[in-house]
Amino acid sequence: MKKSNVKLWVACGIFCLLCSLVSSWYAITFNDARLVTPMDFGSYTFQVRDLPMILSISLTCIYIFSLFVLLFLHIGKNNRQAGQANTTRKLNPKLGMLGFLGFLGFAGIWTYSMDGIVSPFAFFLFFGFFGFYYEGKMSGTFMDERFRENATRAQLKANKIALSIILISLVIFCQGRLGGKLEYTLIAIIVVLSLALALDIFLTEYLLYRYDCGDQVDGDEE
Amino acid sequence: MAEFECRLKKFRQLKELTQEQLAAKVGVRRETIMRLEKAQYNPSLKLAIDISRAVDAPIEEIFIFE
Repeated sequence: MKKSNVKLWVACGIFCLLCSLVSSWYAITFNDARLVTPMDFGSYTFQVRDLPMILSISLTCIYIFSLFVLLFLHIGKNNRQAGQANTTRKLNPKLGMLGFLGFLGFAGIWTYSMDGIVSPFAFFLFFGFFGFYYEGKMSGTFMDERFRENATRAQLKANKIALSIILISLVIFCQGRLGGKLEYTLIAIIVVLSLALALDIFLTEYLLYRYDCGDQVDGDEE
Repeated sequence: MAEFECRLKKFRQLKELTQEQLAAKVGVRRETIMRLEKAQYNPSLKLAIDISRAVDAPIEEIFIFE
């Protein structure tokens, strides 16, 4: 994307944010904080003074939706270009730091004890993003037949390991209730599934890197 | 992987090609040529034919399967 386009999108974002802030201030000051504080939308009746808030929310939603469309178009364009050039996609190895988001999975312990919500345990899946480090190291690599063969080999081995972990864990968990509670068993299954999938994502990239770059250590003669 | 002997290095040097040049000619990376010369990679039939054409030598003389 051109720099001028990026500036335009950032300006639009700032404008949407400002609109939201101003309309929130207006709603709190002149409209009894309607549409700002939680309210019963079942008995909602439209008032002209709600307009600034409705407009700013709509504008922000349109902006976010457009950002998503732009993101998908950009990803599609990148993939097409990589496919035509026969090279791996360009990626910064620093994106591997996103793997630390996996620690968000521990938030599940807190949400479960507070509200009984278990979905945050699925965030353990983000540990798989550590694989971006190895993918980034191999970004822009020409994909010849040996590379493709190694990629398939790495994918198969990673899948095999992940599936084995899932199968063994399920067999163990299905033996009986964990800690005397079925809920704990189901939570443990969510955690194991997330971790196994994360391992699958990470191992695919790590093994491919090892298969491919392990060769280069052998020698560099001409 | 099937055991085989690879004489690619000899034929490549006869044609005075570097690994990089040969790799560019047959559309693979230099690392692949390196692995081939060490008989650590079993090439596809297409790649074997491309290499044989690039170094002007018959396939059966480049790759010798026991």
